[in-house]
Order: sequence, then structure tokens, then C-alpha cells
Amino acid sequence: MDQYLPIVLLLVVALAFAAGSFAASKLLGPSRPTGAKTGPYESGIVPQAPVAARFPVRFFLVAMIFIIFDIEVIFLYPWAVIYHQLNTFGLAEMAAFALVVFVSFAYLVSNGALDWGPVKKLARKAPVNLTRTTTSTVRRVPRPDQLIDGMSPRPVDSEPEPTAEPVGAGAPEA
Amino acid sequence: MIAALLATPQPMSVHLAHASAWAVFAVGAVLILSGALGVVLLRNPVHCALMLVITLFGIALEFIDQSADFLAAVQIIVYAGAVVILFLFVIMFLGVDRRERFMREPFRGQKPLAVILGLITLAEILVLSRVGNWSTGQHGVAGDLNGPGENIQKLGQSIYTRYLLPFEMTSALLVIAVVATVVLARQQSRAPSELTKDEQAGVAAAAADKAEAKR
Amino acid sequence: MIGLLSHTLVGQTVQAPATGCQVTPGKVTGLCQAFNSLHIPVEYRTILPLLVLSIGALVLLVISAVLPKRSRPGLYPLLTVIISGLAAGASVFQWIDVGNHAATKAIGNQIFYDRFSVLFMLLISVATLFGALLSDSYLQREGLDGVEAYVLMLLASTGAMLMAASAGTIMLFLGLEIMSIALYVMTAYHRRRAASGEGGLKYFILGSFSSAIFLYGAALAYGATGTTQFDEMSVFLARTTLPNDGILLGGMALLIVGLGFKVAAVPFHFWSPDVYEAAPTPFTGYMAAVAKAAGFAGLFRVLLEGFHSQEANWRPAIWLIAVLTLLVGSVLAIAQRDLKRMMAYSSISQAGYVLIGLQSASSQGTAGALFYLLTYTFIIAGTFAVIGLVQGEGEARNDLGAIRGLGRRRPGLALVMLLFLLAQAGVPFTSGFLAKFYVIAAAVNRGQYALAIIGMLAAAIAAFFYLRVGLLMYSSPEVDETKEPTDGAALAGLRPIPGFDTPREPALSQGPGAVAASSDGDGAVALLAPPEGRVEIPFTVGITLAVCAAFTIFAGVSSPVLDFAKHATTYF
Repeated sequence: MDQYLPIVLLLVVALAFAAGSFAASKLLGPSRPTGAKTGPYESGIVPQAPVAARFPVRFFLVAMIFIIFDIEVIFLYPWAVIYHQLNTFGLAEMAAFALVVFVSFAYLVSNGALDWGPVKKLARKAPVNLTRTTTSTVRRVPRPDQLIDGMSPRPVDSEPEPTAEPVGAGAPEA
Repeated sequence: MIAALLATPQPMSVHLAHASAWAVFAVGAVLILSGALGVVLLRNPVHCALMLVITLFGIALEFIDQSADFLAAVQIIVYAGAVVILFLFVIMFLGVDRRERFMREPFRGQKPLAVILGLITLAEILVLSRVGNWSTGQHGVAGDLNGPGENIQKLGQSIYTRYLLPFEMTSALLVIAVVATVVLARQQSRAPSELTKDEQAGVAAAAADKAEAKR
Repeated sequence: MIGLLSHTLVGQTVQAPATGCQVTPGKVTGLCQAFNSLHIPVEYRTILPLLVLSIGALVLLVISAVLPKRSRPGLYPLLTVIISGLAAGASVFQWIDVGNHAATKAIGNQIFYDRFSVLFMLLISVATLFGALLSDSYLQREGLDGVEAYVLMLLASTGAMLMAASAGTIMLFLGLEIMSIALYVMTAYHRRRAASGEGGLKYFILGSFSSAIFLYGAALAYGATGTTQFDEMSVFLARTTLPNDGILLGGMALLIVGLGFKVAAVPFHFWSPDVYEAAPTPFTGYMAAVAKAAGFAGLFRVLLEGFHSQEANWRPAIWLIAVLTLLVGSVLAIAQRDLKRMMAYSSISQAGYVLIGLQSASSQGTAGALFYLLTYTFIIAGTFAVIGLVQGEGEARNDLGAIRGLGRRRPGLALVMLLFLLAQAGVPFTSGFLAKFYVIAAAVNRGQYALAIIGMLAAAIAAFFYLRVGLLMYSSPEVDETKEPTDGAALAGLRPIPGFDTPREPALSQGPGAVAASSDGDGAVALLAPPEGRVEIPFTVGITLAVCAAFTIFAGVSSPVLDFAKHATTYF
């Protein structure tokens, strides 16, 4: 296990450096917090509640691409080490595995995993009229999750009942 | 009684002849257990996920202790590097990166029951470990790690010949994972009846606007 | 999966498994490279149905990636039906092939190629075919159609086939995971039903837990026997008497728990009603057939092949599980008001009979259990086809009232449903009767009289709720049927009124359906208004129902299917 000694040393150095940095900044840096300094910057408006950050769902798809290729590479490594022993047999094995992974990748891309379109594309799909109407003084902002492109909401099946409008029907046809 | 159980020499010490191996095992075990306790006991989900990294790191140490160097590296790269990052990602995504409240219990008496069952399990493990001479079978089929060739070559020879079918079928799992991500992460479009009251009000107001605009 | 194509590249010369040339790091001689290349024979015919399904799933994915979205709604189910039909054909070929040759181990000794696994491959292919047929109309009705459902179904079937053919705990676990993970997602597939997501999450958490238990058991069994292969385990245990078999017993127990979860045997059944209720109805039917069959295949492989010599140790445990499963399933089914939950408990109770066959640990018991699983596949596909039809859009009505008066509205449909119910109750001249008869006979032959009596008792209890549903179909809704139901009743019965957060009861009281509910004499079943008369039967569902009904009668009155099952009891 001697070959792990450098890693252990590196670990110790890293830990020492991190601890040292914290300690140094605590000791050396002046700390005079005020309410205005610690609060989040909201263009001068006093924040009322913490806002949870929202990630677009496509992050998941990208993360998935990362994972599948990560695992493929893991399998590639021992394969490459004994490739000379495996010959064409091994080549075919790995080609098939890579093909399957590639098919999943193609499927993900066709579902918009890498489709980080411009903003105007998002705006076009806004389900609710973005401008003010004659009767309203409040501008209705569409729900954020309906704005996400690529995973655009299905058109809600129009129900026969006249009692309610399906979501998205508020947008004028213009 | 438990003290007596613990006092008996552990059979583990026989296998780990070298003191360094012992030390690695001990450090790894401490890391695994403390990390696992942290995952369960800490309140902030982000901290829990980070404690999981410690557990996984400890497992990597145990792999090294078993001379499974490649698996140790994989453990760090895949689990600590990718999977836990995904965990963190989901935690942030769901906006639960704050202290969670578990005051309201869905089932009464769940906690004491869990403690009792946990203690019983612990006692079982201790009793089992008291029985030192476990009968085991012949040597493993995968071969001896001490033979010629490096660890990773043996692994490759095993995976790409004997375990060829499991290896190829792993790709099916990857496909399922991809399809599952697309299915589950897809935006939910809800039927009108499933909207919240506010949303329904909004929809109704939008409809009224539309009618007004037509007139 | 298709990597095994390499065989053709290497050529037909089958070489012995790599003895491995002496490899010193960094020094591989040219001679060694040329003559000692590592490879193993890959016999494609042994995994033909599995290959067809998994390649089919990939083809579906490629097509969906290339074609524009929603170009052809019926394309994917059609392809899935063709693929699973091909897989069924491939398993028939295998059946003949195994008959001509001896059963073998194949592909690095990872799978068994015997009639037992071929029978399960056929069963799973057929269940997949039904699943695809039933899903088509359902998914279109719910606006969920897409390639994903079919890809998941095909891959789940692939995993189930792997489980059935597995020759060791590694393959078994991999198959289990492939099948389970696909099923978790299928459960959560209905995006607009909150219950669906919830059920999927429950299934996922409990299922992962049980997978971990299975894995722990496999590790302990490996520790006790030094091998992960079932046949080597059995050889080792036959040769060796372990003076201190704590690890072995622990491993065996954990393996039973892990697989018992998958088949929803009783102390491990809690997930089952929630998941059955949550999953989209055709998927529930598919799950009830495939997951159960694959789980039992795994149990048979582990207990009858791996731990055959440990019979005295596991038979009492299976006895207890079987008794609990039979009684709890039957009794709790009576209390259910939801059709899908009721069928979940019913299928728990049915699993008890297969456990009786397993507990017998004889070829007769195995034959009975296989016959049971085979017939149950058809019965449960048919039952859930009917439930999927009567529940209405958005799974609005899953309660027993949904089926009330079906005999008047759709006499044919009601008759078929009655057939499936009677078959599950075990009425003579249906396949269910023969199936119950054979497993109980196997128990009696092994001297398990108590188990046999409990089995019959459970059948009597279960008959009560099957017949109650049957009667409900033919009971009058007590509504003046000549008059068209008013809008209010139709709305109240069928779908929640959109735009209002109104509970159903107040709306009900305005329609004539409320009269039916309040004047319901027996009071045993809280009924909502009967749904309106039209139950459209799509072509695909009609075909499925016809085939299932025909098979249920055919297997109940003649012997070929049973002979088929009897031939499959010869293990490797």
C-alpha cells in the first residue's frame, strides 16, 4: 500500500490548507457585519422571503448523459488493459455496449437534452398573454414551469364542459 | 454480556496480518460508520449528502485494504464524484436545502419501534460475530488476487469473458435510467380539475379577460 | 446485449473458456496474443427471446429519436406487439431446441438453458404482448402515449427473462434490478395522477430496500458456499455438511425475503395494494403477471436448485409464508372498496397457491406452480383489461360501483369478466380450478394436509369477494334506465367538475344516481352513481379479452397446457 502514501500526504496537505485558510481569514479579516451587508441584494427592495432557486429540468438530462458516459468509461478502462487478449471478440463486446449507450444518448438529445435554445423561443410558448389587457391592472406572469422549452406542456385535453377553460386558453389566438 | 461479546478476539485480526492493513481497515470503518450516522442524524439535507461522501470514501479505503485498487478508484469517481453530486443537485432542485422538520410523525410509535428493531439487529450481529468458526465454502470462483497479473487485468478477464452477459445487460440498466429520467423529469401538465384554487382563479380570470376582449 | 454478436465475428470455432496465457504486466508475447485470445462461446439461441426484446427496445428508441414527435400514435404499440410476438415465437423455437438437445448452461455459465427458463420466456413474451395491446388504448385515452412506456415494458420483460434463466445470484440480481427499476418508473408513469407518482415512490423505496436485502443474502450465501452459481452451490452443499451453518441459513432467509417481496408474499406485501392502485391499469396487469412470474422463477431457482439439499430448512419457512399469504390476501380482499386494490389482495392470495407448489419441493408441485403462473397470466391480463375499460377516463372510478350493472350495459364484457372472476375463484371448467387442484394435490402427496386444507379454506373465503363482484355486475343499478341520465348525474359520476374544488357528494345529490346510492339496500358497498352506459371496447382490448377468455376455458377443460408445464419441471 506504499503507493498510496503520496495520496495520503496530499490529503493531509489539502486538509491543512483548508483549515489554515479558514483560521487565517477568521483571525486576520475584519468582521463587522450589519443587517444591510448580510442581506441579499434585491435591487434595493427589502426581501420578504427566501426564494428557492429553480433549475431547468434539462439539467437532469445533462446529468444523465454525464452518468452514462461516466459508467461507460469505467468499463472501458479494464477492457483497454486486456484488449490485446480479447482481440475482435472484445472489440465486438465493447462496440455493442457503446452502441447501446449511444442509442440512449441519441434519445436524450432528441428529447432536447442539449437544446438550450434562445430566450425568444421560450417567450413564444408563453401560455398566458404577457401584455396587460383592457380590464386587468395586474400583468399575469405565466407559471415558470410552463415556460420551459423542449419539455413543453402537452396541450391540455379540452374538456367538453364549458365551466372551465383549460390552462393556456387564456392566450389570444393572435 | 455485550461487553463479553466484544471482548472476544475478532476473527478479522487473523486475516489482516499487517498492522498497516489493520490501520486502513480501522480508519475506513470509522469513516463509514461516522458518515452513515451523519447521514441519518444531521438535519440539513446538503450536510447529509456530504456525509455520504465520507461513507463512500471509507468504503473506497476498505477496497484498497482488499487490494481492489481499481474498485476503490471507481468508488471515488462514480459514487463520490457523480452520484452524490446528483443527490446534491436534486436537493437543490427541490429547494429542500434547509433544515427539515420531522416533528410530525405519520405513524405513532415509529421511532421507539425503530430503535428496538435496530438494537435487536445489533444484538444479532454481535451474537453472530461471537460464533467465530463460520463454515464457509471453497475459494471464490473469480480466482486468487495474489496470482500473476495486475488487479485490473484480472477484473477485465473476469468481466469480459465469464461475466460477459451481465456486463452487456448492464447497458439495459443504463437505457432504463435514461428513459426514466425523461419520463419522470418531464413537465407535468395537469388537468383543470387538478389545479390549485389560485391557479383555477387565474384561469377563470384569463377566460373572463378573453371574453371581455371579444366584446 | 447485442454485444454477443462478437461470436459471429470470431467465427464458429468454439474455444474452451480462457485458460488465460500467463500474462505478466507489460509483457504480452505475440504468440500469446495470437493463440490464447480470451473469449467464451456465446450461444445466441439460448437467449433468443431476450435478445429480441432488448434489441426491439433499442429499435423503438432509435425510431423515436429519428421520427418527429407524435408522428404516428399507433406505431410504437404495433412494433411492441410484433417484437413480443417474435419473442414468443423464439421461445417456441427454444422449446423444441431444448427438447432436441440436452439442457445446458450457456454464455460463461451465467444462464441455464432448460425448459423451465424457456417456459418463463414464453410466459413473459405473452404477458408483454398483452401489456402492449392493453396499453395502447389506455395511454391514448389518458394522453400519455409515447415510446417510453413500451421501451420500459420491453426492458422490464428482458430483466424478468434474465431472472428466470439465471444460473447464479449475480445474473438473478441483475435481472431483478432491470425489471424492478423499469417497473418503478412504469408505476409513476401517469403524470397527472398524484397517486401514480406517490405509488411509484413507495415502490421504489421499498423495492430498493428489498433489493439490498436480496444482495445481502446473496453475499452471505456466497460466503457460505464459495460460489454464486446455483448448481455449484447445490453440489457443494450435497458434498459438505456444514457444522455451523449460520451464514448459510442467514443467506437463505435473506434471499427468500428479497424475492418474497417481489412476489408480494405476506409479511412483505405492504407495497402491493398501493402500487397496484397507483400504476396505470394495463401496467398493473402486466406487473401482476410478469413481476410475480419472474420472482417465483427466482425463488424456484434459488430454493430448488441452489438449496435443494437444505429442503428441511426452508420448507417450514415457505410453509408459514404460504399460509399467511393465503389467509391475509383472501381476508383483506373482502374489505376492499377499490377494484384495483381488491385485485392486489386477490393476487397476493393467488401467490399463496404458487407457494404451496414451491413448498411441496417436488416435480408435481413445480408443475402445478408453473401451470398456475401460466394460467394466471391470462386471467389477470383479462381482468385488468376489463377494469381499464370500466374505470373511465383519468381512472375516475376504480371503486366497485364502476362495475355495477355492467351485465346490462355490456353483457359480453360482463360475461368475460365473470369468467375471469370464476377462474380466480377456482370454479371447475376454468383454468383456475385445475391450477388450484394441482398445487393442492402436490401438497397432499407430500403429506402437507394442513397446508392443503388451508389452501381450500382460503379459496372458499376468496370465492366470496369474487362472486360479490360477479353479482354486482348483474345487479340492477336501481335507476330508471329508460330515462337518459341528466347532465348532472353524468358529470358527477364520470369526472370531477373542472374548475371547482367540489367534492363529489354534494354534486351527486342532484342527480338520479344519488337515489341509487342512498336506496342501495344491502349497504355493503358504498356506491356512487353508476357511470353512463357506454363502455367502448377498443379492438386491441377486445382481442386480448377474447384470447384470454379462450385460454382460460381451454386450459380448464383439456390437458395440453398442463402437460406443457409438466415438461418444464426438468431443471438443468
